[in-house]
Amino acid sequence: MRCMEVHDHAIIRAVLAGDKEAYGTLVARHSQNVFRVAFRITGDEADADEVVQEAFLRGYQRLESFESRAEFGTWIYRITVNCALTMISKRKVEATYQIGEETDPSQQQVQVADTSAGPERTLLSREIESLQAAAMEGLTATERTAFVLRHMEDRSTTEIAAALAIAPNAAKQAVFRAVQKLRRSLAPLRVSP
Amino acid sequence: MKHWNEEELLDFYYGESDTQAAIGEHLRECHECSQSYAALTTDLFAIRPSSTPFRDAQYGAEVWQSIRGPLPAYEAPQKARFSWLRLHPWSGFAMAAVCLLVIAAAFFAGRQWEHRSAPSVAANGSGDQGRERVVLVVLGDHLDRSERLLVELKHAEPSNEAPLQAEARDLLSTNRLYRESVKQAGDPALTTALDHLERVLIEVSNEPAGLSQARLDEFQKEMNTDGLLFEVRVLRSRVQGDVEKKESTTATRKGVYL
Repeated sequence: MRCMEVHDHAIIRAVLAGDKEAYGTLVARHSQNVFRVAFRITGDEADADEVVQEAFLRGYQRLESFESRAEFGTWIYRITVNCALTMISKRKVEATYQIGEETDPSQQQVQVADTSAGPERTLLSREIESLQAAAMEGLTATERTAFVLRHMEDRSTTEIAAALAIAPNAAKQAVFRAVQKLRRSLAPLRVSP
Repeated sequence: MKHWNEEELLDFYYGESDTQAAIGEHLRECHECSQSYAALTTDLFAIRPSSTPFRDAQYGAEVWQSIRGPLPAYEAPQKARFSWLRLHPWSGFAMAAVCLLVIAAAFFAGRQWEHRSAPSVAANGSGDQGRERVVLVVLGDHLDRSERLLVELKHAEPSNEAPLQAEARDLLSTNRLYRESVKQAGDPALTTALDHLERVLIEVSNEPAGLSQARLDEFQKEMNTDGLLFEVRVLRSRVQGDVEKKESTTATRKGVYL
């Protein structure tokens, strides 16, 4: 891992020395991780692809500001989180109203679309997945990103705060609010004892 | 018994609580908190990340191809004259510190120099000024005596006494010194006048006996003592003016330095 990071630094030096094509190596090396976090935050494959492109584009443009003490993987990860956050912030309203057939604007509750005519089990699974997706859409951009980084990417509060450029306490509160909202949204799925 | 709230249980779940051990022990003893924590973990466990769509090994290359077109290549850094400053991240700070030290040293050295040189300059200045002023005063005195001698010579009556010769001889030695000094100082008018005066003084001092009226008339005619007297008066007035000027300048400078 350390060797890879050293190699990343060598590639960055080459890029900054005028070898533009060397950046392609960095893109190839980190694109899978970048796509994963982009998809988890945006929840949309096309959006995730767009975020990946935007993140590596910004990374290239800001490469001169990259500090050699940092790791390129961590650096591009943070850029990706910011790009994804921007993406879901822009599309939040559209995404919120996209899922349901009927919506209640006063409460912004979302009805899950029933698009499957499969077996009952498959239907239930898809319903759970859709409900979860809808619940995630009910979060603010910051709450969603903080929760994804904490719960799915296993990032510490400190790392989340750094990625979102907010205070650690604010990052912790964002995660907590997200959990509260998700639990309320997913309450109908709980099996009564 | 204190019960832990949802936020504290969430911190415990993610392993970020400051009281991990205390909460864990409490959960083993408190049925209510244990049930709350179980419900929380069940809900969180249900929220699983949906499977990430597959991206093959060519994905990175495809991403690169999609963005590489408009990207300009970085220009290779020129070897700058001060590139050695980039040898170490702290080099810039070190250079800044060195520059500050040099500036501070120059500042204090300047202050010390000023403190040391100012009095000496004042002293030198006042010394030169004083010396020059003394020379002018003495020269003025010499011209004053010479003027009196010329006036006496003009109005002298034939006599066997020789008081003028003695005075002329006395003035002659000092006049030579002043003439040489003024010549070196580059004052042609004063030099010419002192030269003229010297010749008169030589003639008067070398007279063997008292001056007769005929000799006095001849003397005044040949040596133009009237003209010399006028010159000496003008020069004495000028020297007196210079003395007063030097005095006022010295007083001003003293005011400055004090």
